[in-house]
Amino acid sequence: MPEVTIRQQGASSEADALPPASRDYGRIGPRSEAPRWGMAVDLERCIGCWSCAVICKSENDVPLGMGWNRILTAGDDLDTPEVDEFGDLSMHWVPLACQHCDDAPCEKVCPTSATYTDETGTVLVNQDLCIGCRYCMAACPYGVRVFNWGDPEHAPTFGTGMVESRPTGSVEKCTLCVHRREDDLVPSCVWSCPAQARIFGDLDDPDGPLVQAIRSRGGSQLLEDKGTGPKVWYLEPRRRRPL
Amino acid sequence: MTTTLIPGAVAVPERPSSTAWRVWVAALGVGLSVGLVSFLYQWSNGLGVTGLSNTVTWGMYIVSFMFLVGASAGGLIVVAGSELVGTERFAALSRLAVVVSVAAVATAAGTILPDLGRPQLAWRMITQPHLTSPLVWDMAVLLTYLVIGGVDLYLLSRPAVPGRAMRRMAQITLPLAVLVHSVTAWIFGLMVARPFWNTPLLAPLFITSALVSGTALVIVVALVVRRTTPVAFDDRTLGALAKLMLWFIAADAFLLSAEVLTTLLSGSPDHQTQLRVILTGRLAPLFWSEVVLGVVVPFVVLANARWRTRPVVLGTVSVLAVVGVFFKRINILLSSMFEPLVDLAPGLPGGRPGQPFDVAEVYLPTWVEWGVLLGMVAFFCTLVTLGVHHVVIPGHRSDSADEGPGGAYDRADGPDRAAFGHPREDG
Repeated sequence: MPEVTIRQQGASSEADALPPASRDYGRIGPRSEAPRWGMAVDLERCIGCWSCAVICKSENDVPLGMGWNRILTAGDDLDTPEVDEFGDLSMHWVPLACQHCDDAPCEKVCPTSATYTDETGTVLVNQDLCIGCRYCMAACPYGVRVFNWGDPEHAPTFGTGMVESRPTGSVEKCTLCVHRREDDLVPSCVWSCPAQARIFGDLDDPDGPLVQAIRSRGGSQLLEDKGTGPKVWYLEPRRRRPL
Repeated sequence: MTTTLIPGAVAVPERPSSTAWRVWVAALGVGLSVGLVSFLYQWSNGLGVTGLSNTVTWGMYIVSFMFLVGASAGGLIVVAGSELVGTERFAALSRLAVVVSVAAVATAAGTILPDLGRPQLAWRMITQPHLTSPLVWDMAVLLTYLVIGGVDLYLLSRPAVPGRAMRRMAQITLPLAVLVHSVTAWIFGLMVARPFWNTPLLAPLFITSALVSGTALVIVVALVVRRTTPVAFDDRTLGALAKLMLWFIAADAFLLSAEVLTTLLSGSPDHQTQLRVILTGRLAPLFWSEVVLGVVVPFVVLANARWRTRPVVLGTVSVLAVVGVFFKRINILLSSMFEPLVDLAPGLPGGRPGQPFDVAEVYLPTWVEWGVLLGMVAFFCTLVTLGVHHVVIPGHRSDSADEGPGGAYDRADGPDRAAFGHPREDG
């Protein structure tokens, strides 16, 4: 598929390389005929460790200087807790990657239809068509797209990811690990979070874990008033213990 | 040296030496070479050699594109408008205005290519256009505009320009020129991500800025052409155009004030953050220079009827107006780029290996961008020179030939010598 170029490594597929317990842990599980894949991030559980950001870079061969996933610190500063109205301190992190919007502004403005939405609602970039005009980067309200400003460089120099790097001069972003889906594996960030803060599932399945979590915990979206319809939900923290 | 009293007709000023011509051609050659070398360097090394980043992802190339489309549309709107209204006041300038307009829009189309990450795939916009994208609309309108402009130039270069054809052309070019710059405005104005641009006023604001910059550019080029070629425009024509520019500056200032006032008093927080960048923030020096030098000074000077007919004053004020509109384009673009909607720490990854995350964005164009822009300026000047040589001068010569004996070219001292010391081609 032109959105991602799978790198052929030793194992016939990534799934076979994993030990069975890991594989079961990362399994998507039974799915409907037409899922609408979304994600929820539990802000109570996120500890700002950046593991998901690092493994995303590794999995997708994201070059040096770029990142598809970044962990924002709520408040004014990177390492400073917030002070609430009672003088209590708290600290939260907001992991941010492509929100895979239902009404994606990036898709509307792409002049060559390189950015498109697949049948499961995931917004992808067809690298054969991207001319690098960066209109999508101007149009994204979340700022989650990055551009290949030069030839991709990696450390180590051989790629570590399951997909090839994208060409110089093209735009890239989170693909919701579309290359893992056929192996029945959740995205790498969901799989790797040490606090199990991410939930991946079908937004159209009212009995599935994702919708259940959003309903019971109360989820919100980023920049809801902009009308983009993001598929990433953020679950509000319940406990508020002074630091 | 003879000057006739027929308004706008050809006078015969001093001829330039052919040394000046050679220097001009050499300068154009240097400019074009610098532009080409810079572009090729950028193409082989990637856009990372510019000062752009993941946050400030559009910069001087897009500013120049905005400015050039505006300058192109502005001049043509004035010419076509005056043709439709039926006034003869600017008829002498119409050839030059169309030349400047077509040159500007061709340069604008060229300025987009260096901004693409993969210009070798630009043809995909034609084979696989995405019809919801304002960039596709703009490309279609720009190409149409170029073709119509070419037809216009051809008609104007003929010895006898049929009046009805010119009227028909004006009926097409006027709405097309307004459309071209409105669609360019809609590239920016239809995005929820950029509240500062997301205003219905953006297209009207672009049009008024286009009228100011287009008119000013035509005046500057006319003054230069007057000094360096046998073509002349009398002070009254230029003064009339200057008076028109006065009203355009007023209209532009009005729309800008309406925009600033509404946002200041009742805009959304995101919108106000982006506005503060130009009022009191990083772009404040540029913004207030634009207001003083590009709006207040030209308005005060042009309001004085004596001052605006003096070539030096008019030329200076027109250059100031052009620079002011260019600064405005920079302010409009960068204020929104500097303040993304989600601006929590640590910001966006820099984009280049070793470049850290950065919340406080800085944009400093590199030599590559200046080189390409120099090439674009040289390209524009080359097109204008060609247009003057092949459309304006022959056109004016045939205009004055129609005057009969006693006209400007009927001289007793031998065969006429064409501009720049070259022998006359049509004998």
